[in-house]
Amino acid sequence: MKWLGWSSLAAMAGVGVWVFGFTPEDTNMGFVQKIFYIHIPSVVAAYLAAFLVALGSLGYLWKREAPYDRLARSSGELATLFFGMVLATGAIWGRPTWGTYWTWDPRLTSALMAFLLYAGYGLLRAFAPPGEKQARLAAVLGLVAFLDIPLIHLSVQWWRTLHQPTTFFKVDQQGRPTPAADPEIYLPLFGAIGAALLLFAFLLVFRMKIQAREEDLAERLAGHETLS
Amino acid sequence: MSRQIQYLIAALAVVAILGGVVYMGTRTTVYFRTPSEILAEPEAFRHKPIRVGALVEKGSAHWDAQKVRLTFRVTEDMEHFIPVVFDGVKPDMFKDGQGVVVEGRLGDDGVLVASQVLVKHSEEYRAEKSSKSKGRSAMETLGQ
Repeated sequence: MKWLGWSSLAAMAGVGVWVFGFTPEDTNMGFVQKIFYIHIPSVVAAYLAAFLVALGSLGYLWKREAPYDRLARSSGELATLFFGMVLATGAIWGRPTWGTYWTWDPRLTSALMAFLLYAGYGLLRAFAPPGEKQARLAAVLGLVAFLDIPLIHLSVQWWRTLHQPTTFFKVDQQGRPTPAADPEIYLPLFGAIGAALLLFAFLLVFRMKIQAREEDLAERLAGHETLS
Repeated sequence: MSRQIQYLIAALAVVAILGGVVYMGTRTTVYFRTPSEILAEPEAFRHKPIRVGALVEKGSAHWDAQKVRLTFRVTEDMEHFIPVVFDGVKPDMFKDGQGVVVEGRLGDDGVLVASQVLVKHSEEYRAEKSSKSKGRSAMETLGQ
């Protein structure tokens, strides 16, 4: 638990040194391209969070056991956080390169939709009366929200967008993978994704622990009330 | 009807509705139009706010710093061209052959009066390798 926190901090610091000290600049964008090393890891973490919400939701609907619900609930908060990061870093990147913070293109709009869906999921968890019914409703929302994830990912293939198409899943006409980045640029990205996943794991474990304690406390308080 | 089947029907309904929305969205709305689409029926697009996505025709761009006015032509097939006039600052990454998305209105004279010029950058990332800046890291450029 503690080592997870420290190692994610160390990994982020290390990646920072790598990216700012030893990574060449991009030919077209120059220095602003560096935000790529926060933007893409945030996307990966956000997708993972959304996947875990769906997994926990499915598990809860099936087994009706609290740990599944805890996983979904905690991941939902991380999905909101990391989709927020995606939107914020995307806007900061968009201003100097595209010339705008925001435009209603399908990629940006579907990403905003994900942020709103998981924010809505968080509101449901925070304000609906706690209990089995809330968990069940949230599980359904958690599964529906996940449908937006493939939509975000494929939006740049299906529709016309301002956002560029995929770099790393690019294929040539025969369908062979041809990632459109130099190794000097993409190797640090793997490091950055690793650091982001460490942070993600730390936050998730931490949040699930808090959640378990909250549930425990609520149970004890309920018992106390019946006594007094 | 068993509970599982009810859930299955509900799930299928949600997927079908979302799929339908996405499909119809694809059919009726697009983020931008291309010059050839617009020139095929210019009346349909005239005086309405539109976005045009295309490439900047090589050699067509003229930046007037005195008037703060950028003029250029866009095309996606080197056959259909739309002239653009933009009263505003030239975007940093604007250059010949660059993909752009221009927001504005098409006038009677066929000129697109732009309210915004967005630069569509490619998905390629290439390390800076020119002789002058070979291996130059961001740390070094920061100090300049």
